[in-house]
Amino acid sequence: MVQELLYWQALNRALDQEMAANDAVLVLGEDVGLYGGTYRVTEGLYAKYGEWRVRDTPISENSYTGLGIGAAMAGGRPVVEIMTVNFLPLAMDAVVNLAAKIMLMSARQFRIPIVIRMPGGIAKQLGAQHSQRLETMLMNVPGLRIAVPATPQDAYWQLRQAINLDDPVIVLEHEVLYFTRGPVDDALEPPPLDAAVIRRKGADVTLIAYSRMVLLAIEAADTLQAEGINAEVIDLRSLKPIDWETCTASIQNTHRAVIIEEDCRFAGAGAEIAATLTEACFFYLDSPIERIAGLDLPTPFNAELEASAIPTTAQIVETVHRVTSTVVPA
Amino acid sequence: MKEPLPMPILSDTMAIGRILRWHKQAGDSVKANEVVAEVETDKAIMDVEATRAGFLAGPLAPTDTDIAVRTPIAFISDTRDEAVDEVPIAAAPQQEAPQSKARPTSEMPAEISRTGSKKVDVSGPKPERAAAPPAPHTGGRYSPYARALAADLGLNLEQVPAGVDGTVRSIEVVAAALGPLPADLTAGPPYAICPQPLMREAVARNMTAAWRTPVFHMQARLTLGPLRQLHEATGYAFTVLLARACARAIADHPLFNATYTRSGLAQRDRVDIGIALDLGESLIAPVLRDVGGRPLPALTTDWQRLEAQAKRHRLSLSEYTGATFYLSNLGSSRVVEGFDAILPLGATAILAAAAPATDERALFNLTCDHRVVFGADAARWFASFELHLSQPESWAQDAIGDVPAPPQTTSSAPHE
Repeated sequence: MVQELLYWQALNRALDQEMAANDAVLVLGEDVGLYGGTYRVTEGLYAKYGEWRVRDTPISENSYTGLGIGAAMAGGRPVVEIMTVNFLPLAMDAVVNLAAKIMLMSARQFRIPIVIRMPGGIAKQLGAQHSQRLETMLMNVPGLRIAVPATPQDAYWQLRQAINLDDPVIVLEHEVLYFTRGPVDDALEPPPLDAAVIRRKGADVTLIAYSRMVLLAIEAADTLQAEGINAEVIDLRSLKPIDWETCTASIQNTHRAVIIEEDCRFAGAGAEIAATLTEACFFYLDSPIERIAGLDLPTPFNAELEASAIPTTAQIVETVHRVTSTVVPA
Repeated sequence: MKEPLPMPILSDTMAIGRILRWHKQAGDSVKANEVVAEVETDKAIMDVEATRAGFLAGPLAPTDTDIAVRTPIAFISDTRDEAVDEVPIAAAPQQEAPQSKARPTSEMPAEISRTGSKKVDVSGPKPERAAAPPAPHTGGRYSPYARALAADLGLNLEQVPAGVDGTVRSIEVVAAALGPLPADLTAGPPYAICPQPLMREAVARNMTAAWRTPVFHMQARLTLGPLRQLHEATGYAFTVLLARACARAIADHPLFNATYTRSGLAQRDRVDIGIALDLGESLIAPVLRDVGGRPLPALTTDWQRLEAQAKRHRLSLSEYTGATFYLSNLGSSRVVEGFDAILPLGATAILAAAAPATDERALFNLTCDHRVVFGADAARWFASFELHLSQPESWAQDAIGDVPAPPQTTSSAPHE
C-alpha cells in the first residue's frame, strides 16, 4: 500500500511492523517510551508493546548501548536510540570496542544484531554542540555498517533491513528530514541496504550526495537542466560500505563528479569518496573530482552564519558550471 | 546585494564571447532587459541585456578578450553605492588555489561577505581590480581522460587545441581526432599566429564538420538571359529570382527539400533557401523563408533586410539556420568560369552559380548529399531548373499576381 508519510512516521511504521513480526525486537533509549521519542519515532510503541520491550533508560549512553549489545548477544534484536549524534561520543566505547568487535573476537560465537539509530545534521540554531554530523568517526570503524536514508521510503526500508541483519548497523537520520514527506510503499521490493540509487539520470556530471544533501543535489540538477546541463544525481544511501560500482559506472559516462556533504570538508566522507573514485576512475576523468562540504569549524549559532557554514544549492550549481566548463549545452 | 551578470549563451554553439563595447559604466542605473554591452559571438554581434533593474556594478570584464559563457562579466546591484564599491564578491566561480596553509582564516571572511551584510570601509585607497572575471588562459593542462584517449587514438596531445579555459579535455581530443590533421609548421619560413574573428573560426568548424557528408557534384551550363530580362523589367533582386527558380525546381522534386537523419528523411513542407553572402572578413548564409510561396516583392524586401542585417553582424540564430537548399552566387566575378561549394550540414544540395559568359550561359555546379538524392535525381532537377530559368514569365506572372491587390478591386473573376 502506498501512503504519503513523514520521514519520522516511516521510521515509526518500520519499528511497529518489525516489533509485531518478531518478539525479539526491542527498543532502548532516553524518552523513547512514555514520551514517544524526541522526534516521535517511537510514538505509540510503549502503549502497544509495553515497558518490557520499549525501555526508557537513564541519561547514560555508554551504559544503555552496552545493554543493547548484551541483549543482542543473548538473542534479542535491540534498536537503540541515541537522542542525537552529538551524544554518540559518550557511547563510543560500546560502539567501537564491543558492537564492532565481538563477532570476530568471539570467533563467530556471537552475532550482534543491533541497530543504533540517531539523528544528526544542522537543524536550526541549536548551537555548535547540537549541530554535528560525525559520520566520519563511525566510517573509520571496521565492523559497522552505516545507513543514511534521505527519503521516507528509504527510512522505512533501511530501518527494517537493519533490524533483520545479524550485524551492527548505525542508522543516521537527519533532524531536518524528519518532517519531510514522501510516498512509502510497503509492498515494493527494496534495493539492498547498502545499494546506491540514481535519483536522476544525466550525462554531463555526476553529483554524489547522501542524507539531506541529496535534496539539494536534486534541486541543483533542476536548475542546471533548465540551462541544458544534465546532472546525474546519486544517493549513496549507505556510507559503509559504499556502492562504488554505481559511482564508477556513472563517472565513466560523465567524466566529472562533484561530492556534496554537510559534514566538514577536512577528512570528511567526501575525502574518502573522492580518493577512492579518483583511483578507480582516473583515466576517465575530465576534471578533478570536487567536494562541496561544510566549513571546518564549530557550527556558528548566528542564523546567517550557520546557513553559510554548510553547502547550498547555489554552490552546487556554481561548482558544476566550473567543472563542466567545456560542455556545450544541448 | 550584487548579482553577477554572466556572459550569456547567445547561440547553440557559443562557448566563448568577446565584449566589443560597454554601453553602460559601473554605477549607471539600468532597467531590466536594457542593453548594457555588445558581444561578438561565433555567429554575430549581439546585445547583452541586464537581467534585472538596478545599477551596473564592477568589475566590468575587459573588451576584446575571450570569455567563457556563464562567466560573470559584471554585476547588478540594488544601490549605486554598492555599484561603485569595487570590492570583489565571492560569487565568481574561480578555481580555488591549493590550500597549503591558513585555510580557515582565508575561507571564513569570504563566506561571511557572501551574505552581503558586512559593510566594507571604502575611505582608504580603492582596492585593485582584484577579481577580473574572465578565466585566464593557462596552457598545457590535460585531463587524465584526454591523455588516455589521445594515447588510444595515437594523437600527439601538443597538437590538440585547448578548450576555452586552456585545458585539453576529452571533447577537444575527440574533435581533433575527427578533424583534419594539423599542419606541421616546424619546416618552412618563420610564422606568427594571428587570432581569427570568432565568425571565421565558426566557418572553419562548420566546413570541417560538413566535409564528412558523402557528396557528388554535377555541372550544367544554362542560360540566364530570360532571368536577366525579367530582373531588368521588374527590378526584383537577381539573387531572389535565381532562388525562386531553384524553389520551383525543388517543388518539382521534393527530395531536394529533405534532410537525412538516422531515423529517416526529414521532408520539409516549405522551401527555405540559404543564400551565401560575402562579408569580406567572414561568410554567412541568411535563410530566405518560403521562397516558393511568397510574392516576389515580399521576398525582395525580406532579402534586402537580411543582407543589411548580415552586413552589420546583427542576424539572429533563426535568420541563418534551417535551410535544406543553399545558393552560392559568384555572378559578380566575371573572370570565374565555374566553382564548387561545400554542402552545409543539414542541407541536401547547394547550387554554385558562376557569372554568365557572353552567350548569357553560366556554369552551375550542384553539390548533393548522396544519402538523399542520386545522380539521376540531380539530372532531373537540372532539367526542371533549366525549364524554369528559360520561362521565368510562367512563374513570375504568378508572383506578380500575388502583389497586394488594389483596394477597390471587388470582382473575383480575373479578366483574361
